Amino acid sequence: MSLRDFGPNELMFLIMATRWTILLALIAFAGGGVIGLVVAALRVAPLPPLRWLAAGYIQFFMGTPILIQLFMAYYGSSLLGFRPDPWAAAAVTFSLNGGAFFGEIFRGSIDAVPKGQWEASTALGLRFIPTLRLVILPQAVRLMLPPTVGFMVQIVKTTSVASLIGLTELARAATQINTVTFQPVLVFGTVSLIYFMLCWPLSLYAGYLERRVGEGVAVKTRKPLLLAS
Amino acid sequence: MPNRLKRVLAGLALALVAMLPAVAVAQTVDEIIARGKLIIAVDTTTPPYGFLDAELKPTGFDIEVANKMGEALGVPVEFVTVTSPGRIPALLTKQVDAVVSIFSITPARAIQIDYSIPYAGQSAVVIAPKSTAISGHADLVGKKVGLTRGTAEDGILTAAAEANPGIEILRFDDYASLLQAMVSGQIDAMGGGDYGEIYLKKAQNGDDFEQKYKLKTFYFGIGVAKGNDNLRQWLNTWLFTLKSDGVLADLSMKYRNQPLPDLPVF
Amino acid sequence: MQTALQFGPVLIHLDRLLVGVWQTIQLAVLSILLGTVIGTLGAIGRSFGPRWVSWPIAAYVELIRNTPLLIQLYFVFFTLPLIGLKFSSGTAAILALSIHLGAYATEILRAGVQSVPVGQIEAAKSLGLSSYRIIRHVVLVPAVRAVYPALSSQFILQLMGTSIVGAIAAEELTAIANNLVMQTFRSFEVYIVIAVIYFVLVQAASLVFAGLGRLLFRWKN
Repeated sequence: MSLRDFGPNELMFLIMATRWTILLALIAFAGGGVIGLVVAALRVAPLPPLRWLAAGYIQFFMGTPILIQLFMAYYGSSLLGFRPDPWAAAAVTFSLNGGAFFGEIFRGSIDAVPKGQWEASTALGLRFIPTLRLVILPQAVRLMLPPTVGFMVQIVKTTSVASLIGLTELARAATQINTVTFQPVLVFGTVSLIYFMLCWPLSLYAGYLERRVGEGVAVKTRKPLLLAS
Repeated sequence: MPNRLKRVLAGLALALVAMLPAVAVAQTVDEIIARGKLIIAVDTTTPPYGFLDAELKPTGFDIEVANKMGEALGVPVEFVTVTSPGRIPALLTKQVDAVVSIFSITPARAIQIDYSIPYAGQSAVVIAPKSTAISGHADLVGKKVGLTRGTAEDGILTAAAEANPGIEILRFDDYASLLQAMVSGQIDAMGGGDYGEIYLKKAQNGDDFEQKYKLKTFYFGIGVAKGNDNLRQWLNTWLFTLKSDGVLADLSMKYRNQPLPDLPVF
Repeated sequence: MQTALQFGPVLIHLDRLLVGVWQTIQLAVLSILLGTVIGTLGAIGRSFGPRWVSWPIAAYVELIRNTPLLIQLYFVFFTLPLIGLKFSSGTAAILALSIHLGAYATEILRAGVQSVPVGQIEAAKSLGLSSYRIIRHVVLVPAVRAVYPALSSQFILQLMGTSIVGAIAAEELTAIANNLVMQTFRSFEVYIVIAVIYFVLVQAASLVFAGLGRLLFRWKN
């Protein structure tokens, strides 16, 4: 085992590891998005037990650290007879966790749609799911976008926690490379830069979306935001 | 609150059950050959036994032993990476045929899995900069001692800390963090395996690192599922020839720059 | 081999877990206090300061908010010693956590500060109030009240963020849980108990922040 200086090979190793960070983030977005839609629908469903189930689910995944959820999935899988695989554990955990956060985001924007829309749909004879699909969600989508993109930034950063169950992504690659080069400033500096380049554009986009929605919302509501205090 | 908690736990159980089932696996030597591949769990963050080379391919003492195992059986080897806590579960769930991953032989583990005879040995030692005078547990008092959580060093040094008040133990999640702590000077000494690369670096004060005293010598065995006597007997036979042909001694010099310790059998 | 869940071997170690709870609370409270101070100074500097003050603050905020807390922890613990700043695990954890929260708090409070009508500040100036008084009473109090829910949510996130400081060998609930798992081999049971404890902590913290909010902001305009 030779000691190496931080050079192009090591930089390549970090960049290759970034693929896994991006992959995990996309899985979280896709899985979490789908679960989030279901959870949000349950949250506003007409049946109280469904609402409570969704509320409990959200409370659990938002009210406990994601690291603990990861450990439970990783070690717990062996109880159920599955090989503890960091990727499977991470994919499941990030999807479920994302589902809770997206569920809250989606529900918030669903709630922002005027109640009159629900009543009008009932008057037209539409049941719950068609109402949601055809009337409510299209209007809610515009409000959902800024917090959704904002949460994507969170997801990318949170993938770093998966390194603590041994999943090879950028943060784990950082410690591995640092053990070979022992040049922490270069290693962690480069890694910070890579994360920054992944997250900052998303943050800026989220800010832009928020401003666009804000203009629309300020026109729609009667009270200007300034007097909110 | 209790109702909500019940629902929450029910939701969690549902989620876990939804995880995909894993691949079925062979157990006996015949089944492995018939299946056409050998599935072995390794750890690529434990140099010089398992690590990634400059082209990011797995290499190391353990990896070569695993490859030779495949050669002897006439099948290709499929590597599955695990970390320390994942080794036993990988065998319990029969998702791998064997574990070759600095798997120290301990009675506690032998309750859950079976070991082959040792194929390598390593001492858990205390390492510190040359200028620090340490010759036993008592010299660690007033110092920060790092170790990797859950290892044998953890057990030994934690007991030492209880017997000698004043030793500050820092537990890290993995060996890589421990090494970084030692080199950056965050700890005064470390308990770890007697691997090579820490000796290639210098401490913050410019000292070389050296081994201070041995905690325990461990022997690594190849882990197989409990009761898999068929595979285990073949492994013991094969390792016997590997030893007597000098192959293990050569691997040890190649990766550890040290001769193998004596490897007793059982 | 775990076939049935057994909580007994875990619960006898409840005393160690409670030590972990106390350590977690300490980490959270200290970093929240420090981080809020940083955030307040940052928000004021960003909103009212000259360019050579507001731009570095903006850079700090963007940098911290777009990189993971874990990397920030590694930086403080493994990298700073190279320039002579060697902090213990606990101190490094509090430092990194505070710097992390400081960036978020700066942004949140900045939004609050900007929601204060400019007219209020000008009226205060014309009344001859000193800058310090203006900032404290006319700007900060309404600002904090406006963003208090967002701020409390961030504090809750901070509480949960303490769970990863074990990566630099700091002691808190999750690190102690991991030690327990290595000792008892009852991984699932340990993490269920820990999840419940965190859940309770978060609910308690939410209640505390809500109560605090009602107490501090008794008068409305």
